[in-house]
Amino acid sequence: MNFSGILVMSKPDHHTQVIAALNALEGVEVHQVDAATGRIVAVQEAEDIHAEIEGVKRIKAIPQVIMAEMVYHYLADDERTYEAMPPELIEQQDGFETCAVPAYLNS
Amino acid sequence: MGLTRRDFLKTSIAGATAATVGMPLSEQAAAAVKAGEAGWQWDKGVCRFCGTGCGIMVATKGGRIVATKGDPDAPVNKGLNCVKGYFNGKINYGKDRLTQPLLRMTDGKFDKKGKFVPVSWEQALDIMEEKMRWAMKEKGPHGISIFGSGQYTIHEGYAAAKLMKAGFRSNNLDPNARHCMASAVVGFMQTFGIDEPQGNYDDIEHTDTAVLWGANMAEMHPILWSRITDRRLTHSKMKVVNLSVYGNMSSDIADLEIIFSPSGDLAIQNYIAHEIVKRDAIDHDYVKKHTQFATGPYDIGYGFRPKDAEKYHSAAEMEIVKNEKVRVLDKWEAIGQRKQEGEAVEQKNAATPMKDWAISFDDFKAALAPYTLEFTAAVAKGDPDESIEDFKAKLQQLADMYCEKGRKIVSYWTMGFNQHQRGSWVNEQAYMNHLLTGRQCKPGDGAFSLTGQPSACGTAREVGTFAHRLPADMVVMNPKHRAIAENLWKLPAKTINPQMGSHFVKIMRDLEDGQILFSWTQVNNPWQNTANVNHWIKGAREMNNFIVVADAYPGVSAKVADLILPAAMINEKWGAYGNAERRTQVWRQQILPPGQARGDLWMMLELSKRFKIKDVWGEQKIPGLKAAGFEDGKLPSVIDEAVKMGYSPDSTLYEVLFATPDNKKYKWPDKAVAKGHGNHICDLLKDGWFPEKALFEEYRKFGAGHAHDLAPFDVYHDDKVRGLKWPVMLKNGKWTETPWRNNEKYDSYCKPGSGFDYYGNNGAKMVMGDLDKPGDPKNVVDISGKAKIYFRPYASPVEKPDANYDLWLCTGRVLEHWHSGTMTRRVPELHRAVPNAVCWINQQDADAKGLKRNDLIWIESRRGKVKVRLETGGRNRMPRGMVYVPWFDEGVLINKVTLDTTCPLSKETDYKKCSVKIYKA
Repeated sequence: MNFSGILVMSKPDHHTQVIAALNALEGVEVHQVDAATGRIVAVQEAEDIHAEIEGVKRIKAIPQVIMAEMVYHYLADDERTYEAMPPELIEQQDGFETCAVPAYLNS
Repeated sequence: MGLTRRDFLKTSIAGATAATVGMPLSEQAAAAVKAGEAGWQWDKGVCRFCGTGCGIMVATKGGRIVATKGDPDAPVNKGLNCVKGYFNGKINYGKDRLTQPLLRMTDGKFDKKGKFVPVSWEQALDIMEEKMRWAMKEKGPHGISIFGSGQYTIHEGYAAAKLMKAGFRSNNLDPNARHCMASAVVGFMQTFGIDEPQGNYDDIEHTDTAVLWGANMAEMHPILWSRITDRRLTHSKMKVVNLSVYGNMSSDIADLEIIFSPSGDLAIQNYIAHEIVKRDAIDHDYVKKHTQFATGPYDIGYGFRPKDAEKYHSAAEMEIVKNEKVRVLDKWEAIGQRKQEGEAVEQKNAATPMKDWAISFDDFKAALAPYTLEFTAAVAKGDPDESIEDFKAKLQQLADMYCEKGRKIVSYWTMGFNQHQRGSWVNEQAYMNHLLTGRQCKPGDGAFSLTGQPSACGTAREVGTFAHRLPADMVVMNPKHRAIAENLWKLPAKTINPQMGSHFVKIMRDLEDGQILFSWTQVNNPWQNTANVNHWIKGAREMNNFIVVADAYPGVSAKVADLILPAAMINEKWGAYGNAERRTQVWRQQILPPGQARGDLWMMLELSKRFKIKDVWGEQKIPGLKAAGFEDGKLPSVIDEAVKMGYSPDSTLYEVLFATPDNKKYKWPDKAVAKGHGNHICDLLKDGWFPEKALFEEYRKFGAGHAHDLAPFDVYHDDKVRGLKWPVMLKNGKWTETPWRNNEKYDSYCKPGSGFDYYGNNGAKMVMGDLDKPGDPKNVVDISGKAKIYFRPYASPVEKPDANYDLWLCTGRVLEHWHSGTMTRRVPELHRAVPNAVCWINQQDADAKGLKRNDLIWIESRRGKVKVRLETGGRNRMPRGMVYVPWFDEGVLINKVTLDTTCPLSKETDYKKCSVKIYKA
């Protein structure tokens, strides 16, 4: 499970509508709102990294959202690292100390 | 019901997020944050990536980085992070970190055709020493070279410059910043006589207009973009203009989007000036007091290999490269340069493009005459599907803004201007329009060159890790500057080589033709980042030379190397960067480098122990050397002189340059500054000094009193300080930064009563001339205190689409990846977000070629081809006739396709325009 703290900005006039849209998204909760500056803090809970990134894109796509950036991320170890590696790097999955000669270099 | 653990976690994350961006916290949230971060050590740091220079807080626990967040106290980003900055803590932990030196070997011996085998550091340094001695014996000091970086820490860059220039007497040190900032530097030096922007990021909160010229800030400088977005929402007068060759994310909040043709920016800038003059929107008082009109030659070539080009280029390549000698003018440049279409112009000033002379205002006005709305619209319209009338209306709106009295304007640019065959000119044109209207060096008013890399300013430019530079804007060609450096470095007179070294692309060409035999790469990826790279891969692999690459991960450059050195990354060493607003920022070592990876600074210090001054300070022949005092083409032996100064012929470069008695006064451990943080370099050296502090203190002597003043090392490490913008002056016992330079109100270097003082040009004189040539050499004007307003003409791109190669290719970056992707592609989140480079194309172009989205295609130029997938949607909106391919992906090595033309003044490559064809793979 991945958690991210996301700063969302919209014009204060659109706050009600944007907050409703955010809360309607699966895994998203609005936690704090600063009406004076148009800032909203939302927390997103996502199944995996992919969903986390897609989730932010989804927030950016909400009408009247001017900006949405991840500010805080829970840095959990990720067992899917290898799958996510660039294809040319997958072949060497050895740990730190043992990967003396990445196979990729001698290809 | 109490909080569940998950609820608690979420409250804590929300609280941390709110605290980071400076929103008030509830008591409950504050308590949750505290509990969630138990046992973490937070320390201030700097983002590893772009030139914005965001402050990052780094948390460590048990020797690992466990979290990072935007620094709420950092004035640059006020707690915000972009997606790359957000993942700073993860770049150190890719699974394929290089952790041991690797040497190509066969049967236990170095073999250029061998396979990589792990070796000890001792063996690695042995072979480096051997190969450097061989290269210098064969070719002299310029037989060796270093590819440096705008991502060097200040300490690393300073050590590299001193080792090469003072130690090996070689000026063949050039950074990848050549590819990104060199045109900006020429613009600053020619216009103002001193480098780097006068304004700062607070201009955003003071301005009424942000004009983006070839700078997709939404993707490349997202944090500054968020400040612009904020200003756009909260200031009703605020307008945003996006000038680009294709529609991009920055257009989303722009009031005006102008899609122009490649090099059309040269014409648009002159059109604005033409309107300013025509409508008399000139700030006459400012222009009269603070500026001088100037121009230079037009026949300056295109920065191709100047000699024997046909020996190294194919016949197809020569179709373009031949323009280096003779250019046949097309219709548009003929009008813009007051010549005849079809005229064959010999490029007589290809070797002397920097020449300039003063002109009168009447001549300046006459030069602008051709740049009417009709002409400019015809030459500069970039979208074939836009009507000429619509485009004209947009140009007029833009000119209206520059002509509107009282409207504050900041112009921003990055690679669109800098990576340009006439990059230095177009930088100077930006200053032209700001100076004409008195909009420079005032809060909210200024032409502002943004930086790509985190320390392109702080290290590459300020320290001077270029082939022609010394610290604090000094150059090796100037005898007075050499004398200052020799004095501060305690070197015998005539130690420093007055012959300019090879710039980045020339080092590649020198490796290809055998002039350079040894090359060392630090903190960058030259075999991925240099245009027309097929040539350079061949130069590295097939010539008899020795290529050393220090890197953290195995990128393309590591693959072409003979020796790979495992490098420590940010937060594994002490460091300092300088950002685009002159802000110098520092960090401490937070964690240890993995395995045997070590800081680049340690590598240089250790190597310097292996050379004695008798090895490198004897007489040296330098091909082409003609400088005054060196008429015999040789650097004299300075060994006898060195002995008189108290050195021994057996003194090592380590003792003479680095571990000097002065520097050894800075002791390690230094508890007051370190606050419990380690220093792996000190631990390895074991001789009790603190090289980062000592080198910084030595370096800052260059700038003190010369408008480049820095504060002492310890001041930057004060917990309350978030970087300081130079010049940093001691005022009433406090080290005080300078927010706007050249403005008397803020800059104590300005002459009292001047208002504005362009003191960088103090003492400079120019010969008066007309638009075509300088006049009587005795007729000179003194430009002390003044900035130059250059007239620079339109010039067409050297390679344009034709029947065979029918599309423009533009290259660049994407938000999620940093440069060649060696770091960001190891962060699963970022890799996932943008796994591979794609080729953005207009849907109609794809349809016309029978291609569709996701098709695998070949993209091919006169120089090479690569396979890539086609993208018709997404974040970029290509006009018909142009494609865009980012360069981060080594699987899509787009620099096999690009053209190695450079701005002749700055030697910076134009990555933004060449011609290609595409077809189904």
